[in-house]
Amino acid sequence: MAEGAHKYLPLFVAEAIEHLTALASELVKLEHEPRGGPLWDSVFRRLHSVKGSAATVGLPAIVAISHAAEALIGKLKASGAQPDRTQIDLLLQATDALTREVERAAAELKREGQGASSLVALLENASKALPEITPPPAVKPSEKPAEKPAALDPALPRLDVFFSLSKTCQAPGARALIAQRKLRALGTLVEMEPSPQQLMQKKGGARVSALLATARSLDEVRAAFSGIPEVEEVEVRVAPLGAGPAPEIAADEPQGQLRAVGGAISVDDGRPEATVRVRAQALDQLLDQAAEVLHGIARLRESARKLPESLAGNFEAEIDRLRRTARELHGRVMTARLTPFSALTERLPRAVREMAHRLGKEVDLEVQGSEVELDRTVIDALGDPLTHLVRNAIDHGFETSAQRAAVHKSPRGKLLLHARRERDKVLVEISDDGRGLDVAGLRTRAVEMGALLPGRAAELTEQQCLELAFLPGLSTRAEATDLSGRGVGLDAVKAAVEALGGKLSVRSTAGRGSQFTLELPLSVSMANLLLVQVGGELYGLPLHRVVVTTEHDLSARGGEGFEARSIAVMGQLLRAYSLSKLFGLPSLAPPGPRPFAVLEVDGITFALSVDRLVGQEEAVLKPLFPPLDRIKGLAGTTVLGNGRPLLVLDPRGLYELAESAARLKGAA
Amino acid sequence: MPQRRVLIVDDALFMRNTLRDIFTNAGFAVAGEADDGVQAVNLFRELKPDLVTMDIVMPYKSGIDATREIVQLDPAAVVIMCSALGQESLVMEAIEAGATDFIVKPFRGEDVLAVVKKVLGE
Repeated sequence: MAEGAHKYLPLFVAEAIEHLTALASELVKLEHEPRGGPLWDSVFRRLHSVKGSAATVGLPAIVAISHAAEALIGKLKASGAQPDRTQIDLLLQATDALTREVERAAAELKREGQGASSLVALLENASKALPEITPPPAVKPSEKPAEKPAALDPALPRLDVFFSLSKTCQAPGARALIAQRKLRALGTLVEMEPSPQQLMQKKGGARVSALLATARSLDEVRAAFSGIPEVEEVEVRVAPLGAGPAPEIAADEPQGQLRAVGGAISVDDGRPEATVRVRAQALDQLLDQAAEVLHGIARLRESARKLPESLAGNFEAEIDRLRRTARELHGRVMTARLTPFSALTERLPRAVREMAHRLGKEVDLEVQGSEVELDRTVIDALGDPLTHLVRNAIDHGFETSAQRAAVHKSPRGKLLLHARRERDKVLVEISDDGRGLDVAGLRTRAVEMGALLPGRAAELTEQQCLELAFLPGLSTRAEATDLSGRGVGLDAVKAAVEALGGKLSVRSTAGRGSQFTLELPLSVSMANLLLVQVGGELYGLPLHRVVVTTEHDLSARGGEGFEARSIAVMGQLLRAYSLSKLFGLPSLAPPGPRPFAVLEVDGITFALSVDRLVGQEEAVLKPLFPPLDRIKGLAGTTVLGNGRPLLVLDPRGLYELAESAARLKGAA
Repeated sequence: MPQRRVLIVDDALFMRNTLRDIFTNAGFAVAGEADDGVQAVNLFRELKPDLVTMDIVMPYKSGIDATREIVQLDPAAVVIMCSALGQESLVMEAIEAGATDFIVKPFRGEDVLAVVKKVLGE
């Protein structure tokens, strides 16, 4: 790699990946592009741009591949010939190879970090040689043993290390970071997969594999894990020779995925809008903090009510102004998080082409509205449902070319993905011109499954029959194919869309095709919930208000008839209320100790008894609609991952409710 | 084994009391309590505890900054972060700053002790 070019290498990597991703989808379209169409220019330009930058940065392999591919494109374009499938396949292979080379360059970049650390060591030594005046620069203790500037000694034994993070681990990224630090203290960590950053917020257990170059014994490495909580099933063994790529230092790279803000991917004929790249994670944190500011202002406003009237007016006016600014800030961060629909569809053309060919079908994909923007949370959660619907269409929706010819349809099926904005919603339609859903089949299957009585089935309209397709476990296909099927059905797609606060609907005409419509919110807010059960009903408590959960036996103090009393939690007396009493629900808890959630709002700590603590879940919070919004103690609603609706409680409202109930009782 | 000495750092009195009970019931000695990061660093210097439990979000000086300073004073210091759910990136920042381990609220006494015993190698 050329000396001195590294400064711009990160930029090269980011841009090249953007070009190559777009290139793959453009190449697929090129098969049907008319001679001299604009796509030819775009494909040519992308390859040329990658080649030029690669030459500047000093990456000869990338220059060679892109040069050869560019030459082929140039010839095809000049000859005016339509490229055939093998040529497009070859160009797609070249795109893959280029992507791999760029990723290798990115890994190289990480390795440069080690060179930097040797420079750091030199600088530090130089500092140490000078008399102490100010404290020396901080050196993290964890870095001292592993970050010696020496290159990796090839004679060092390499060990394969495997370990699992426990299912109950609440912060797997942080847990993996601790394990990574431990491994680095033992030798040179060649690789670790998945990385701590990848594991962030991936709850529910994970298996991690690492390759460690070290002179330590297997037992020493095993023993190092005994001091780490939530780590299980540790396996250490000697790695087969030649294992693993060149060493990398994963933590030295910028964390999180990079993305352009402002949606300014260079436009064909205009100058690109100025953009900076920020870590997606940084935007998430910014959003959380903007929301926190809004909450803080709400609390201030509440406190202002206690001020004498002479002061209150001015104060409230200032707070209102502050709130408007904070709202605007929150809105702007939300906007910055918006991601174009194309993030989901860029890889689809190729996937569709491959899937269709495997099934002996010909399908053209058209994407409209790829510039429409959605919240990143929605985009992230939409990947699987969308892929599922596309697969379904290719697998079940389209006929084979021969079948299509027999009914006088064009031999090539048409799959249309259309996104468009409608007020505060985004509609995504997936339409095919295939055979349409099998209405009679759906009706029969629903009756067979016992989901519908035969008499009722006969009364259903055609549209109602179509909606039977969303029933769990219902498929009109006898066996699952390897493309779609295998247990995940449209019911899962529907649940995923509803968990985002959206809706899924279907239309279909026999012989003409079907259309699925996803109605999605522009933005969502996520909440971590503690799920509790009372009187057979499930409720959610915002987890950031839950200080601790505990058990307490009240029967020793006069049975279940309490409205408000105190219990001792960790040596402290707290007011305790029963959620079943507050909501007038029967308590179904067995006698004996019952669970309490200790909640904290605005400095007030109190305990709330429930029948059962059910678990935790992250869910999208939706505002209450009238008349529910007038009920004290409710904060919002949500739909759980399994499609079940849930009321989310407002601890502050609950406390006020409980206090006023207690006061009323005292007055009576 | 001599009695282990703990410094509890949290701006919420409730959390400090809760942790104090967990530790005293398990036979630890609570050497001191701090309610902000500045006080935490001062008390650490003065008391030299075997273990620090550190809240992350606190007035004057965050738990992360306090941890960084404590680890500078004593690279072998054992600092356990007390975080709320959803603060994973802050916890990771704290680990980078030298924190030994972490616990996630809401926690039960036995969870706290399990982590503490593990990191102290007991």
